[in-house]
Amino acid sequence: MIIIGEKINGSIPSMGKAIQEKNESYIVECARKQTEAGATYIDVCASVPEEIEVETLKWLIDLVQNVTDVPICVDSPSPHSIVAALPFCKNVGLVNSVSMEGDKIDIIFPVIADTKWECIALLCDAKGIPTTVERRLEVFDDLMLKVEEYKIDPSRLHIDPLVETLSTNGSSLTTFAECTREIKKRSPTIHVTSGLSNISFGLPVRKLINQAFMVLALGAGMDSAIIDPTNRDLLGLIYATKALLEQDEFCLEYIGAFREGLIGPKAG
Amino acid sequence: MSKIEEIQSAVETGKKKIVIGLVEEALADGLNPVDILNQGMIEAMGNIGEKFKTGEVFVPEMLVAARAMKAGVEILKPHLAGEQHTSIGKFIIGTVEGDLHDIGKNLVAMMVEGSGFTVIDLGVDVSPEKLIETIKENPDCRVVGLSALLTTTMPSLNRAVAAITEAGLKTQVKIMVGGAPITQEFADNIGADGYAADAASAATLAKEMIAA
Repeated sequence: MIIIGEKINGSIPSMGKAIQEKNESYIVECARKQTEAGATYIDVCASVPEEIEVETLKWLIDLVQNVTDVPICVDSPSPHSIVAALPFCKNVGLVNSVSMEGDKIDIIFPVIADTKWECIALLCDAKGIPTTVERRLEVFDDLMLKVEEYKIDPSRLHIDPLVETLSTNGSSLTTFAECTREIKKRSPTIHVTSGLSNISFGLPVRKLINQAFMVLALGAGMDSAIIDPTNRDLLGLIYATKALLEQDEFCLEYIGAFREGLIGPKAG
Repeated sequence: MSKIEEIQSAVETGKKKIVIGLVEEALADGLNPVDILNQGMIEAMGNIGEKFKTGEVFVPEMLVAARAMKAGVEILKPHLAGEQHTSIGKFIIGTVEGDLHDIGKNLVAMMVEGSGFTVIDLGVDVSPEKLIETIKENPDCRVVGLSALLTTTMPSLNRAVAAITEAGLKTQVKIMVGGAPITQEFADNIGADGYAADAASAATLAKEMIAA
């Protein structure tokens, strides 16, 4: 399971405040905790005006790299900021993200084509998020043409089929799951990921919706997720679900996570 | 409970079929259609908005309430004499150029409509030119709502407000802005007339703007 630690994101109010106030210790602590919780990547999203985005990303990436070797997931809605921020990273990491919207792909793919950088790709285009499974898979097929054109191995891609808000769209999960199954069928080595907290917007006890989504999405074949790895309940569910899906032989990873104190009741 | 109170309660709880039945009964009883609309439905949506702000009700409940009201209004329409009774004003809404995120925009459109406005929804990725054209086509429209969800589309919000101002249309319309990264401070800086943090607040603000 690929876990992209989501906490260093300026659009989260407490983190936005820390970034604005240049609260280095808060940010470093977030990087350290996510590392300890087993994050595969640490997402870094400044969420500041574009004029100061690159310098803010550099400052954040430097801070994170001072305390951890976990690779960075460079996160920005601007492809230009992403390209500018890649050289700040000591290790090869993950780009978050491209889509078929505008010229994002044509700005980012040439830069990462001959590297080992991985990349998140969202299944939306210039018209927004396609409402049907069929239309979303059409976007996937268009995307794969670009992937071939730039000779990027599918195993370097994390497809985000996109989750809409359940409170305004009842078929949010079923659409996601169907897309995931079909994508895995068409391209078995590709990763499927999700920034899942969108799904529970507007509903009470959001974490229950998030948890149920996680289990169902893993069942459909999702193998990467943008989450808070220090959320023990969610992390525990991931390990348990992987074991149930025959993706954890002899449940050794589940047991190991328990022994390391990552899941289950907190010791002491 | 009076018939109108019953309608209000049925709208608030989103019972579409019951609302339709009650509105038909109320009309048969000879109740004034304008009272049914204002006291029965618009007030119900106002209550829902207040409860949403305090966290008592949730987004799907807002949706079913709006759907129930819409069904009731359809029954009412033939009995209302002309537009002036069914609408308290026009409201133009859209997401700014480059922004495709419309969940919040749709919720605002729904709540503003529920509070009695006629909503002209321009959808997503709306250019300043399109906004100006629509404002000019609707000289009786006095409120425009614009949203941006990304830090990268915030400048687009700035441009839209500037374009409307430069076109000299700020004497006609007031502009409210919103979206996840938007703050009151940002709204003030770009010269917008107001900021709303959620759909219910937007509806309240729209009413204040036409009252001012």
